[in-house]
Amino acid sequence: MDATLWMILLIGLGTYLFRAGSSVLGSRIKWSDKTREWLNFVSPAVLGALLGPLLLLNQDQWVNWAENKALIAAVPTILVAWWSRRLLPTVASGVGLYAVAYYLL
Amino acid sequence: MNRQDRISMALKDALPIVIAYFPISVTFGVLAAASGFSSLYTILGSVWIYSGGAQFMLVGMIGYAAVPTAVITTILLVNLRHILYGATIGPHMKTWSEPLKWAAAFGLTDEVYAVVSSRLKSGERLMPAYYLTFAFAAYASWIAGTSVGIGLGGLVPPELSDILEFALPAMFIALLFGGEINLPTLASATTGAVLAITAGLIGLGGAGIVLGGLGGATVGLVVKNYQNRKQRSI
Repeated sequence: MDATLWMILLIGLGTYLFRAGSSVLGSRIKWSDKTREWLNFVSPAVLGALLGPLLLLNQDQWVNWAENKALIAAVPTILVAWWSRRLLPTVASGVGLYAVAYYLL
Repeated sequence: MNRQDRISMALKDALPIVIAYFPISVTFGVLAAASGFSSLYTILGSVWIYSGGAQFMLVGMIGYAAVPTAVITTILLVNLRHILYGATIGPHMKTWSEPLKWAAAFGLTDEVYAVVSSRLKSGERLMPAYYLTFAFAAYASWIAGTSVGIGLGGLVPPELSDILEFALPAMFIALLFGGEINLPTLASATTGAVLAITAGLIGLGGAGIVLGGLGGATVGLVVKNYQNRKQRSI
């Protein structure tokens, strides 16, 4: 087997074990109220952690503000998300705004 | 609510994800083909890994010839966040059979988690008919889109595939800002972003997502507790 196939198999297996192990364990443990409250903030925290580097870094280096197409497109996309509260219009306008930034910069 | 109603509700809730997943997975198929992935490996990526961020990273990292062990470690570090998702959803599966829990876990992506957890926050019970229909619809869309992307492969100009890559951050923006936004959630998102960026800058890479998730959730809770105390003292 070649290296790419190994990578796909191991990444898939690892990801599944993270998902399944924690779900099954989570269903057996009784979490305290504080823990459950903490878990509510996991989603925004992880989404922030995913977005931050995607919008501001390129291969672990700062992207120059004036040339940062992703950040320039992200600001109006955030407004669309806030206003529409819907997934599809946000993704569609995000890609559209990024296309505008891509051709203008 | 009967089983039929739950299935219809799941399909209704899944529709935006199904529609959004399709172009994103088409993009994955196109990018994978452009990076020299065989059709078989590309579809296997979507069927077996089923994690958009991980799949995009895999294609990107192979593109700049990273060492396989480094690729696997980095991507799995980023995907450690799924443990937090399972820990949140798991308690709502207490009454489910064991095989059902193991099957359900496969479909627990960022987007499925975000939508299902917001339903649970409003006090609804998590029923297998609802969750499995929802998760399967999203999975089917992801695989269908990947297949179309493989087919389009060479037809899509590189400029267009560069632009389409923004679909992934746009989806994260939609999930973050389309949900409940208040001071504690903003504080947790900002902390998560700052920690992940700092980790990236000092070369910790993938671990930053997990650090950001843990630190951000803790700051969110601290801010909420502070708000509650302030309200009580007024």
